[in-house]
Amino acid sequence: MHDVAAAQQIAATVLQTANEQEAELVRRIEIALGAMTMIDAEQLEFWLKQGLRGTVADDATIVIEQMPLRARCRSCKYEGEIEVPDDPIYHLMPFVPTCPECGADQLEVLGGAECVVRSIRVSDAEIADEA
Amino acid sequence: MSDSNLSDNSRDIIIDVDLHRRTSELADENLSLLDEHGVTAMDVLGSVGSGKTTLIGQIVRRLRDRLSIAVIAGDITTRIDADRIEREGVPVIQIQTGGACHLDGELVRRGLERLDLDAVDLLIVENVGNLICPAAFPVGSHRRVVLLSVTEGPYMAVKHPIMVRQADVAGINKIDLADAMEVDVAKLAEDVRSVHPEIEVVATNARAGEGIDEVIAALGLSGANSGSDGPTENEGRDA
Repeated sequence: MHDVAAAQQIAATVLQTANEQEAELVRRIEIALGAMTMIDAEQLEFWLKQGLRGTVADDATIVIEQMPLRARCRSCKYEGEIEVPDDPIYHLMPFVPTCPECGADQLEVLGGAECVVRSIRVSDAEIADEA
Repeated sequence: MSDSNLSDNSRDIIIDVDLHRRTSELADENLSLLDEHGVTAMDVLGSVGSGKTTLIGQIVRRLRDRLSIAVIAGDITTRIDADRIEREGVPVIQIQTGGACHLDGELVRRGLERLDLDAVDLLIVENVGNLICPAAFPVGSHRRVVLLSVTEGPYMAVKHPIMVRQADVAGINKIDLADAMEVDVAKLAEDVRSVHPEIEVVATNARAGEGIDEVIAALGLSGANSGSDGPTENEGRDA
C-alpha cells in the first residue's frame, strides 16, 4: 500500500503540472525510483495507471528508471554502490544495507532514497507559440 | 531532454520533484508551525496491537491536569482509537488514511489546521499500526516513541532497525506477558540499544499503568508535580 501512496502523489503531481501548462494530453511520464524506497516498480506502474484512468494522462507511457543505492560507510569510509536484493521479504521488513567492504551497517545514504517525477511529455490543444 | 524527436505539438516539461524529499519538507513545515505556537509534539509508532492507544491514554491521564493536550490519531478506517482517547477528555482529531499504511506530513498538517494550536501544550500523534512505511514518512514531531510489545515475539528490534533508529524512546510493552510469550525483556532491550545506542528504553505494562512515568520522564515531559521520582536517565524496570 506504500506503492499506492507514491502512485497517488505522482499522479497528483503529473495532473497538476499538465493542468498548469494547459496540456491536452500527457503522452509520457518519466520517473526515477531509488532502490531504497522499497517501492516495487511494477506495482508502482500498476497503481499509477489506476490513478490516471479517465484523466488527460490515461494513455501516457510510464518510464521508470531504477536508481541504485549509493552510500558512504561511516566505519571504513567505503563509498559506492551497494546492491539491494530483489526479494519480496523486503515488502514486509526493511532491508538494512551493510558495507560491502567491512560489513558495518552505519551507512550514510548518498542516493537511492529518491522517488522523482522527472518530466512529462505533453501535447497541446493548440501549437504553442514558442514550439 | 531532447526535443529532436517530438512531433508537431508535443513538448517536454521538466518537473524534477522528489517526493521523498517533499515528505521531509512537509514534516519540517509542520515542526515550524508547532514551534510558532509553542506546541511540543511527540509521535507514537508501533505494530497493530502493540498498545499505542493504551499508552497514549495513560500518558494523557497523567499529564492532562498539568498540560493542555491534543491527539491526532491515524487509522485506516475506524474511529475506535480516537473514541478511546477522547474518553480521557482531550480533543482528538481522527485521520482516516483510507487504506494508506502510514500518516504523512500532509495528513498531519490537515489535522493541525483543525486544532487551536495556541491552546495546546502537547500534541501526541498516533501513527497507523505499522513499523515499516511510517519510517519513510516523518510527520513532524520533536520526540518519537516506538512501541514494541513482547507479543510480537523476540526479534522486533533487529527486524525493524530503521524505525528503532528514528525513535528517541523505545517502550517494550506487555511485560506482564513476557513469561507466557517466552520473551526475554532484557535481551529485547539489549537488541534495541544495539541498533540505537542513544535510545532510552523503558519496559511497560501500559494497560496496568506500569512504566508510564518512566516513559514520560524519558520524553522530557516530567514536571515538578508529575510524580516521577527519577531523573531523565531512565532505564525502566527490567530493561
